[in-house]
Amino acid sequence: MKTFEGYRRSQGLPGIRNTVAVIPSVFCANTVARRIAEHVAGAIAFCHPVGCSQVGLDLELTARGLKGIGRHPNFYGAVVVGLGCERFRARELAESIASAGKPVEMLVIQEEGDTLKAIEKGIDYASRLVEEAAMQRREDFPLSDFCLGLKCGGTDATSGLAANPALGWVTDRIVAAGGRAIFTEVTELIGAEQILAGRARTPEAARDILVTIDNMEKRLSKATAGTDIQHRSALISPGNEEGGVTSVVEKALGGIYKAGTGPIQGVVAYGQYPDTPGLYLLDCVGHDGEAVTGLVASGCQAVVFTTGRGTPTGFPGVPVIKITGNSETYGKMKFNLDFNAGPIMAGAPIAEVGAGLLEKVLRIASGEPSRAELLGHDELFCITRI
Amino acid sequence: MAKALKINPRDNVAVVLADVSPGEEIVVTTDDTVVRIEARQAIASGHKIALMDLGNDQPIIKYGEEIGRAQGEIGAGDWVHLHNLTCRRGHEKPA
Repeated sequence: MKTFEGYRRSQGLPGIRNTVAVIPSVFCANTVARRIAEHVAGAIAFCHPVGCSQVGLDLELTARGLKGIGRHPNFYGAVVVGLGCERFRARELAESIASAGKPVEMLVIQEEGDTLKAIEKGIDYASRLVEEAAMQRREDFPLSDFCLGLKCGGTDATSGLAANPALGWVTDRIVAAGGRAIFTEVTELIGAEQILAGRARTPEAARDILVTIDNMEKRLSKATAGTDIQHRSALISPGNEEGGVTSVVEKALGGIYKAGTGPIQGVVAYGQYPDTPGLYLLDCVGHDGEAVTGLVASGCQAVVFTTGRGTPTGFPGVPVIKITGNSETYGKMKFNLDFNAGPIMAGAPIAEVGAGLLEKVLRIASGEPSRAELLGHDELFCITRI
Repeated sequence: MAKALKINPRDNVAVVLADVSPGEEIVVTTDDTVVRIEARQAIASGHKIALMDLGNDQPIIKYGEEIGRAQGEIGAGDWVHLHNLTCRRGHEKPA
């Protein structure tokens, strides 16, 4: 039986990394959070531009996103940093993380006095959490304790033919073993809605899939209307087009191979963790940062990211495993890429390449650094807005 | 000789697996058949070639599904891309 080595948590799935998250509840606390993390090896600051002057769903998405990051299994615990007058309160964030069974500390700059006093207290909190985390050892866990995020970016024609089918093979194995997998990028599922709805496990799940994709298509139609912005109305990138992908539907049909062939359990909202095993669609846009952040905020311990054109990006504290179906890209961007599915283009069986990819994913889950981690790439943390 | 892949039996375009020159003969493979077609233009690796003549507004099929419509007449062996394929999904429908 396939296993991986992770860190046991008091609730939920195990972590595959064991760092401490320092999370500002509002952007005004960014510098304090960043300086705390700079002083404590093993602490990671999650600086962002939101948390105040927002209303309604926009503010709610910020709250759900930051809470989803805070309770993530890859973090041993968290230090929440507030300013004191913001709309998304530090206390709400800290209480939510604590209710997921995690050690959490909170400090509020206006209560501490000033930047220096806040940083000093934060360093004290973060170092104590890092010391506690260091006492933990990895243990063996079955594949049923794995939750994998699925993402593509820098798509070319090889993505739909090689990299996504190889990842789909891995997805099917993890789901068959009782694990979880989540795909998203709803902006890039247009045209594949009937195929996906046909794979839904229940009529409710089928309806949720259709509604989620239809809502996103309406949003895009509205955003691209207007003669003055017609030069901004392309739904795929210039790189996709150069790589041979012509329409958003073509991209969608190639993209859904990532999600394998099994039934879809349902749709999860942004910041929601799936509560049962299976394959899920996350309601989030296709922007690489927003989508990977969404996958992390739904509890994915790692993300496999397929890329034909090649991309270096990563997420702090969560391995983003890069695979390409383009052997030329693999040769050119070797240090940014973890796995080459290109042999499929030359006739290698998908199952053989998929099995190699699953081994790689489990090695990285068990502690081997991904290329993005080795190089310190962390640009994918990006809270979605509406 | 360059190769192209027809992904689904229903497809009317194939993906070329290497850069091809105008006039070059291409071997198109599917699960069970092999056909040959002559490229009418230069086509970059990963791009699509039409496997049959396609009239204006005819569906263009890849992965067994419609990915857009022909814009103007497309001949067998033509490069199929942004210049002759349109897709209205995700955009306001024309009045």
